[in-house]
Amino acid sequence: MKETLGSAEKSHSHQMPLAPVAAELPTPRKVSQKVIVTGLPNSGKSQIFNNLTGEYSIVANYPLSTVCVKQGQFRMGDEQYEVYDTPGLYCLFIHSEDELVVRDLIFQEKPDVLLLCIDANLLKQSLALAADLIELQIPMVIAINAIDETARKGLWIDSATLSQITGVPVVESIAIKGIGTNKLKSAIQKARVGSLSIHYGDIMTRGISTVESLLPEALPYKHKTSMLALLNDPFLDNYLIDNVPEEQLQKIQDTVDEIQDYFKGNLARTINHKRAEWVDSVTEKIIRRQVAFAGRVSETIARMCRSVVFGVPILMGIIVITYFLVVNVADWLSKRLDAILWAPVQEYLNALIPYPFWNEFFIGQYGVLTLGVAGAILTVLPILSVYFILYNILEDVGYIPNLSVLSRRVFDKIGLSGASIMPMVLGFGCKTMATLTAKTLTSPKERYITTFLIAFALPCAPQIGLNMSLLGKVGITAFIITFSVLATIEAVTGLILNKIIKEDDKNCFIQALPAIRMPNLKAVIKKTYYRLFWFLEEALPAFMYAAIAMFTLDKTGLLKASKVFLQPVVERFMGLPTEMVDALILVIARREAAASVIIKMSENGHLNYVQSIVAVVLTTMFVPCMAHIGIIVKQQGWKSTVFMVFTMTITSVIIAGILNKLLLLFF
Amino acid sequence: MKNSVEIDEYLEALWHMKEDAKTSITELKAEIGDNFSKEIFYECLNDNLAAVSDDDKTVTLTTKGEERARRIIRAHRLAERLLFDVMGMSKNIEEGACEFEHMVTPALVDSICTMLGHPKESPQGLPIPPGECCENATTTIESSVIHLTELEIGQTARVAYVNCRKDHELHRLNGLQIRPGVYIKLHQTYPSFVIECEGSNIALDDEIANNICVWREKKYMSKTNDAVKKRSIFGRGIGIFKKCRNVN
Repeated sequence: MKETLGSAEKSHSHQMPLAPVAAELPTPRKVSQKVIVTGLPNSGKSQIFNNLTGEYSIVANYPLSTVCVKQGQFRMGDEQYEVYDTPGLYCLFIHSEDELVVRDLIFQEKPDVLLLCIDANLLKQSLALAADLIELQIPMVIAINAIDETARKGLWIDSATLSQITGVPVVESIAIKGIGTNKLKSAIQKARVGSLSIHYGDIMTRGISTVESLLPEALPYKHKTSMLALLNDPFLDNYLIDNVPEEQLQKIQDTVDEIQDYFKGNLARTINHKRAEWVDSVTEKIIRRQVAFAGRVSETIARMCRSVVFGVPILMGIIVITYFLVVNVADWLSKRLDAILWAPVQEYLNALIPYPFWNEFFIGQYGVLTLGVAGAILTVLPILSVYFILYNILEDVGYIPNLSVLSRRVFDKIGLSGASIMPMVLGFGCKTMATLTAKTLTSPKERYITTFLIAFALPCAPQIGLNMSLLGKVGITAFIITFSVLATIEAVTGLILNKIIKEDDKNCFIQALPAIRMPNLKAVIKKTYYRLFWFLEEALPAFMYAAIAMFTLDKTGLLKASKVFLQPVVERFMGLPTEMVDALILVIARREAAASVIIKMSENGHLNYVQSIVAVVLTTMFVPCMAHIGIIVKQQGWKSTVFMVFTMTITSVIIAGILNKLLLLFF
Repeated sequence: MKNSVEIDEYLEALWHMKEDAKTSITELKAEIGDNFSKEIFYECLNDNLAAVSDDDKTVTLTTKGEERARRIIRAHRLAERLLFDVMGMSKNIEEGACEFEHMVTPALVDSICTMLGHPKESPQGLPIPPGECCENATTTIESSVIHLTELEIGQTARVAYVNCRKDHELHRLNGLQIRPGVYIKLHQTYPSFVIECEGSNIALDDEIANNICVWREKKYMSKTNDAVKKRSIFGRGIGIFKKCRNVN
């Protein structure tokens, strides 16, 4: 279990110490009740978590937007509740490590309440999960979410009947608008263990109770554990080995073999069949239909986004609109801010601090305020705000997963099955998050290629925004050339890695596509605010430390020395001004810091057309950011990461050099 | 040739033993049960269908015997599929299939196989030996059960069964409610398959789509005309992409 539990451990810091369950002492009076929010991917778990706790966990209209467990609290009456937001779960029989995180969390934390979020649009799918979770025999509450959307489709869900059938409280909500939160809170107080009228037949029931009787008394969820054992859940073995005495283990294996043998490998099908019958019968009882035609528009838009004929132009259109908004609006914003906020402050400080050393320390070329604060707030922030608003709208609409439909065949060519598309597509948002979702890939080859490609020439959201803005200063053709070059590099890298790494089992591509919905302006603004807030929180100190480091390097003469040393590479080979060395050093601290320096260089006219392209290509590929490296280390190990980073850095310099020579032939 | 039905049973038992990697005569006796008759066993040997090792301990099928056993097993397991999927029977499948396997001609077996969309496994999950029809994978007769990949865009069909090699694929599809009995509508085939199932849209790759077998149903096929018109706008797109829809 160690390894599997490890994955849950990494995801949140407030982990209980791991003790063998059997040896645990009787729990003392609880300080607070534990609530685990669970549900299918994209069923609104994060939104409900946010509503309950008042914290903010990124919400997006696509599966996999939550990859880590997040924790928060709320009070209701005298009770303190501790809430966990979790990644999506299809069923307790595990397919991939990210789902394992959720199961491990439930088995370890032994929550007092399970809060199951059901997307009303996916009622049957959610009920199948409900059946699975009810069998855990944990007090449960069901929240039916997005009822406004089903209402528009003409579907009414009878939540009272659902509550009657399952025996657990059911609350209707529209999480995005925060409707139903208070009802949900009081329902959590009334959570009850559900009941399920599924009869798996005598033989299976006997098998389950035999295994159950062989499990140690103190083990939680023995019924479910027995069922999973019968199904030969591959992720359960270590858990059993850790928690069950050896002689019992052999007996369990015998029982499992006996039952498996009886069903001739058809056990999973039989269980699924029984559960499906239950789901169908429940759905029949709780769904009321009404004729309605709404939803057609959203369906049509979704189909257009996915088709080759419309989808590609739509994608191009989105890129072009983003480009012009980022270049023009953000640029204007940045200039205004500079004039209103920075110029007077700089003048004032200049007059205030007479000592040249301190003057330079604060507002010199590498000053803490110039490079640190002004760089982050005046240069980077406007670009990111505009870009994030657009990106968040796309997320909220549910556009992004549709890209996976369009791009699947391209990925196929570079040895990636469909399963790696979503992580790659998410890489355009945040590379660190995308690398985390790459965990879902079961094939090590694909996981490696995907991790590598995400880390290499794929620009993340801030990079795209900043690159657009920078290239916009020399014209849209530069933007087109740069992004084509980056795409080519990714494709070629993929092809090479595909050839080098030997073939193994391929992942299949089964991707649920969310319904296209109107963007919720409030949600978009809130999300943009949080993304910018987090950026400043993280980047501002990094910018300032980087500024201090640069200042020190400059004062000690090391900067000059390194410029002289790197001059042949930077100036002769890549054709860039030696000032680029500043940017390259800053890249290591924070990519945006480097971008702000390059943008300043460009504004001062130190970069021409070709140099702008080369600079962007170079910094996009040069060393991944620190947070990203951290995640790669966790997933691929030190050796692999050092190799990756080293290869990427060297290759990026070589490619930038070659690109420079090539471009000089034409321009 | 007398006792042909009994001989078939012995060959079938030997095939099961081969699947379980058993060879001893004692195990054959156990497999046949109380009715074990030396006479029929010798008849198998005389007809050169099975061979006994020099020390008289192990017995295996000869090439000739294996060919015949394979035909029987194939008929038997296809019959089980037919009874389970088409007739919707869940009890007494075994008995029905036992009767069935002796009556059908190879041509009829191939037709059933084609109709069912060349299934790879019996309802119990045992492999069905492929016949000529599977190897050619030609749809010589108009089959009622077709692969999802053969459906036209806009058509709705009921899932007959899902041929998944891996358990987790089956669980995943099941989680999305793609399972026998549900109706799915095909929206798009290129660049990926997009189907609608129980109110949600799901994108699939070609292999998974090919593994999902659906019923061709008249009442839903009639919507085709409307759908075909739409197809030129949505889904498959312009002509040059058509050839990329390679169905294996």
